[in-house]
Amino acid sequence: MSSVVSYVGLSLVLFAIGAVGVCIRRNAIVVFMCIEMMLNAVNLAFVAFSKLQGNLDGQVAVFFVMVIAAAESAIGLAIIIALFRNNVSVETTDAAQLKW
Amino acid sequence: MTFMGFVLSAVAVAAALGVVFNRNPLYSAFCLIVNLLAMAGLYSVLNAHFLAVTQVVVYAGAIMVLVLFVLMLLNLKAESGRKLGIFRTLIAAIIAGSVVTTVYPSVSANFEQLSIHALQENAWRSEGTVKAVGEEIYGRYIRQFELSSLVLLIGIVGAVMLSKRKHSTIGPREGGLGGMK
Repeated sequence: MSSVVSYVGLSLVLFAIGAVGVCIRRNAIVVFMCIEMMLNAVNLAFVAFSKLQGNLDGQVAVFFVMVIAAAESAIGLAIIIALFRNNVSVETTDAAQLKW
Repeated sequence: MTFMGFVLSAVAVAAALGVVFNRNPLYSAFCLIVNLLAMAGLYSVLNAHFLAVTQVVVYAGAIMVLVLFVLMLLNLKAESGRKLGIFRTLIAAIIAGSVVTTVYPSVSANFEQLSIHALQENAWRSEGTVKAVGEEIYGRYIRQFELSSLVLLIGIVGAVMLSKRKHSTIGPREGGLGGMK
């Protein structure tokens, strides 16, 4: 029991670190990597709860999260490349305009 | 938590801090790879063997290769040493603090009520081998699995459309910072 709680605690810590990274970093790629880290933290919580419940639903959910993350990373990196092409930096503070 | 789980957790947290606090994005990416591999180890400690392998192949393999490819394509330098705004730091601290302090007590309080006996009874059924997870995915979750293939297709089409150079929906800015052909 305590084991699962500690894994959920680890998941929370990783999620919080990722959230801090999204807030304080300005490089869009690093922000993207921090989002991936937050997704992973949630996946760890899913796996821990799956072990706790004794069924595989949590692990299937993690599988689908991975599918979404793969699609999201392809589109996100394409957006970052488009941002760089328009606006020669990828700093989020330089992308303050919504249209150009 | 077993000894292995403890070591992997420490590695994961250290690598996560490295992702956030490295100035050079390339070092951040390598720290993220270490973090993802440590998470794969944690999955296998938690008996999710299929997910551990998938994590290594999909995340640490495919997604991080994509990220490193973009990093090297854009040839970024380390972030300039401008100091953090107090406002951003405050927001970050509030979010991190509220996530940890609100979720953890409720989770640990709810688990106090579960009996250890029931957990030990359940433990063997959550062995995430390829066979067991595959039976779940192709059995009860077959519709969601088919829909996820549609999501991947949309992802491919969207990535191609966004990064197309000519007749792109987002053209170069005229007379602005852009002008890269």
